[in-house]
Amino acid sequence: MIRKIRKLPGRVALFLGLGLFTVFAAFPVYWMINTALSTDTELYKTGQGFWLKLSRLGDIPAKLAEVPIFSWIANSGIVAFGTTFLSLVLAVMAAYALSRFKFHGKGLAAFVLFATQMLPEALLVVPLFALFASFGLLNELHGLVLANTAFTMPVAIFILKSAIDKIPYEIEESARIDGCPRSGQLTMIILPLIVPSVAAAAVINFFDGWNEFLFANTFISDAAKWPASVGLASFVGQYATPLSSVMTAAFLFTIPAIVFFLIVQRQIVSGLTAGAVKG
Amino acid sequence: MATRSSTQGSPPPAVRPGPSSVSERTLAKPRRNWTPYLFIAPALIYLAIFLLVPLARGIQLSFTDTKLVNPGGGSFVGVDNYTQMLTSEQFWNSFLATVLYTVGTVVFAVLIGTALAVLINRPFRGRTVVRAILTFPYAMPTVAVALIFVWIYNQSSGALNRGIGVLGLGEVGWLTDPAYGMFSVVLATVWKVFPFVMLVVLASLQSVPEELFEATRIDGADGLSTFRAIVLPHIMPTVRIVALLMTIWSIRRFEIIYLLTGGGPVESTNTLVINIYRQAFSSQNLGLAATIGVLGLILSLSVTVFFLLVERRENKREASA
Repeated sequence: MIRKIRKLPGRVALFLGLGLFTVFAAFPVYWMINTALSTDTELYKTGQGFWLKLSRLGDIPAKLAEVPIFSWIANSGIVAFGTTFLSLVLAVMAAYALSRFKFHGKGLAAFVLFATQMLPEALLVVPLFALFASFGLLNELHGLVLANTAFTMPVAIFILKSAIDKIPYEIEESARIDGCPRSGQLTMIILPLIVPSVAAAAVINFFDGWNEFLFANTFISDAAKWPASVGLASFVGQYATPLSSVMTAAFLFTIPAIVFFLIVQRQIVSGLTAGAVKG
Repeated sequence: MATRSSTQGSPPPAVRPGPSSVSERTLAKPRRNWTPYLFIAPALIYLAIFLLVPLARGIQLSFTDTKLVNPGGGSFVGVDNYTQMLTSEQFWNSFLATVLYTVGTVVFAVLIGTALAVLINRPFRGRTVVRAILTFPYAMPTVAVALIFVWIYNQSSGALNRGIGVLGLGEVGWLTDPAYGMFSVVLATVWKVFPFVMLVVLASLQSVPEELFEATRIDGADGLSTFRAIVLPHIMPTVRIVALLMTIWSIRRFEIIYLLTGGGPVESTNTLVINIYRQAFSSQNLGLAATIGVLGLILSLSVTVFFLLVERRENKREASA
């Protein structure tokens, strides 16, 4: 009893700290919604209020019509889907090889995969720009898919390899004796067992493609093909921005990322841990 | 290898090819198997085309005077670009900005992330909600982060200046005053990335065996000494690796700096990566841009090697302890 009382000030301090950081984490998100629900006159002249004006929710469709956000989001979706699909197909096979076989050059392959985490996109964007120019891939969404996959696939490999590592080998052994080929063992036995990890890898890759900015900003000059990251960024630092409309559009672009992240949070965390810590 | 039969089960020892018995022992299966290469080849060929070839081309470009208008042209200039860079004040400012940005981001993100992981590891009412809120920044697209922070930092109408105005402090040009530019960029970055540290450390904390806590509680240890004696040693390897990843990612981070300040004000946030981009696409000088890229890559590699050396020393110490 006495010890509990002695500990109380420390406990209060801990929870005050936690509360402070929760506010720190939440405020910009709150302020984004608040800005989206303000008028531009309030933002620039009369001053933005602190409390949400929920009565303005009805203005949202009109605000979204001011920014071509839906076509940008469609472009982001195409890039994200393409990146996820290509990345997972390559990663599933590579993760299977790394997890289930011993072979010469395996250590080197694993090192190459880790080393990709070090390469700055900004260095590669210059030669890739030249490469894409000569293959007619500039201004093409599938060009972005190709460039993004090089950076997302190693992450998927880390996650999937550690998932396959956890499956006991005996399960495939019996199938192997029955004459099931390796490709069949992978698709019919292993894949169904690692669905949660595949989902985590898919979400991480999808939102890497969804959010990607540098390649899109450099390779896509045709505004009709901009993904939302580039479209929204085109308003940063502009004077006379329709700010509340841009914030509404940006929030719409943010919602899928937050929702999916919360849905598969547990798998993502274990996936990230596997990729980051044991990879 | 052509004699490999398709019969199942291990062949009798007599028909094994003799001379390669040493390499045979290192293989999982008693016969040489090309299957793993078939499975991993697509991924490696892909990375070779889209990462290694551009990397090689980038290194080659750094020894030329190639310009953006004619990316195929440009002639070999030896190490001229390197001498020019290593003797220019602009490059060393950029190097310093990278170090400041990296150290600031890593130190604060790792401290805040680790502290919060420890705090939300204990059960309390509303923990799920708090944890969800604390992970929002990580899920938010960087462009959205940049948009809202540019607005929060806005000099005349931004929330930050209005907030400190209430405290009686004057307006600050968070993104326009060279004295504050780096601070503002680091703050926005830390906001975005601390949840990664928190989530990974949290996962590591959840693997601390409950019996360890019980044992110290019976011994009458208070919270702080439990933390120092049990929790900290358990999570330190994870924290070190997260710090390494944070460092590598900070050295190569582009988007948030580019969108918040574009390297300004007065080049105060002109990190190496921003410098590459400006050199390539504003000054149109691909050769010099590639040179900065190669020097930046050397920085990343040195940091990694340093971390690996520390890691090895720590592992040895733990093994002997």
